[in-house]
Amino acid sequence: MVSELSPTPGARSVSADTEGPRPPMPVKMVIAGGFGVGKTTTVGAISEIEPLTTEASITSVAAGIDDLSHTPEKMTTTVAMDFGCVTLDPTLKLYLFGTPGQERFGFMWDDLVEGALGGLVIVDTRRLDDCYAAVDYFEHREIPFAVAVNAFDGKVEHDLNDVRWALDVGDHVPLTVFDARERGSVRDALLVVLEHALATAQQ
Amino acid sequence: MTVGGGVTKAGTTREVKGEDEMTAGEPSAADDAWGVEHPPSIVRPFLLTAGRIAGGDSLVPTIPIETQVVATDLGLATLDAFVFDQHRDIITICRQPQSLAEIAAKLRMHLNVIRVLADDLRADGQLALYAPQAESARDATVLRRVIDGLRAIPDSRGAIRER
Repeated sequence: MVSELSPTPGARSVSADTEGPRPPMPVKMVIAGGFGVGKTTTVGAISEIEPLTTEASITSVAAGIDDLSHTPEKMTTTVAMDFGCVTLDPTLKLYLFGTPGQERFGFMWDDLVEGALGGLVIVDTRRLDDCYAAVDYFEHREIPFAVAVNAFDGKVEHDLNDVRWALDVGDHVPLTVFDARERGSVRDALLVVLEHALATAQQ
Repeated sequence: MTVGGGVTKAGTTREVKGEDEMTAGEPSAADDAWGVEHPPSIVRPFLLTAGRIAGGDSLVPTIPIETQVVATDLGLATLDAFVFDQHRDIITICRQPQSLAEIAAKLRMHLNVIRVLADDLRADGQLALYAPQAESARDATVLRRVIDGLRAIPDSRGAIRER
């Protein structure tokens, strides 16, 4: 079904006729992190629309088990997912999807993350544990990502090197501090991810 | 378009069970808002999809959530002929290109139900679907365009980021 190449530069048509307004090419990034870490705030700070909420299905597996074939019980759960978008130009639209956080479960976001340009893992230094799952996921799927410490009060309680050590992310993973409430700060955090993705793509 | 066919075995509906517990489309001030109820539709989602689901282990192909959906002239012309409001609603809001995710959020329907309905309407020529370009995530040209586009976004004070 998703196979035909359309004459449209950018978007790939999956239907025979292409009447109507020509849509922009959609691209997406994923905003991940634990519960209440500021994912929706981040999306809302830069989105041209009020963040919308939809329900996504995620497949949860028991924590610590990576190989699905070894887990007879996998649960599909319906969770809320917040998202927003930015029209970068008439032919290009960036969607930002906040991943549903499931702190005590491993999870599969494949449906959501497939084709994403990159991921931003938001960290609250008071609750570092909450973001391990997201870091593991992006590393496992080899999706370019950066870690962004949300400085809730404009300051960070820990040295960034300590955060990097605690998260056990390699030096190749960009680590930055941002303020989820500030559009410019969110933009710059996303740029950190994209520049990392570009460097990775050019290797 | 046919909506008959009957609901398939009960097990296939597990993906969207608890539809009544789904959260509402209200953008909430709280991060990760959960568990807000919304009034259920008279027509149950699985009557509309004839029991079919998308995503997970489903045989229905998974359409990317950012896929752009636009009503075709045929879809708009047959707007009054739809039996179900949901089909008409999808065509109506797709006068302007929308992503699948936006359709689901605005119509307060499960993403996987929208996937099935949008694919039905596409098969009937009433919607055009534009999936994202394959491999764009690894395409330096695409990445540069996104970077340039983002850089042009002013911060809250209206300044443009230095290159």
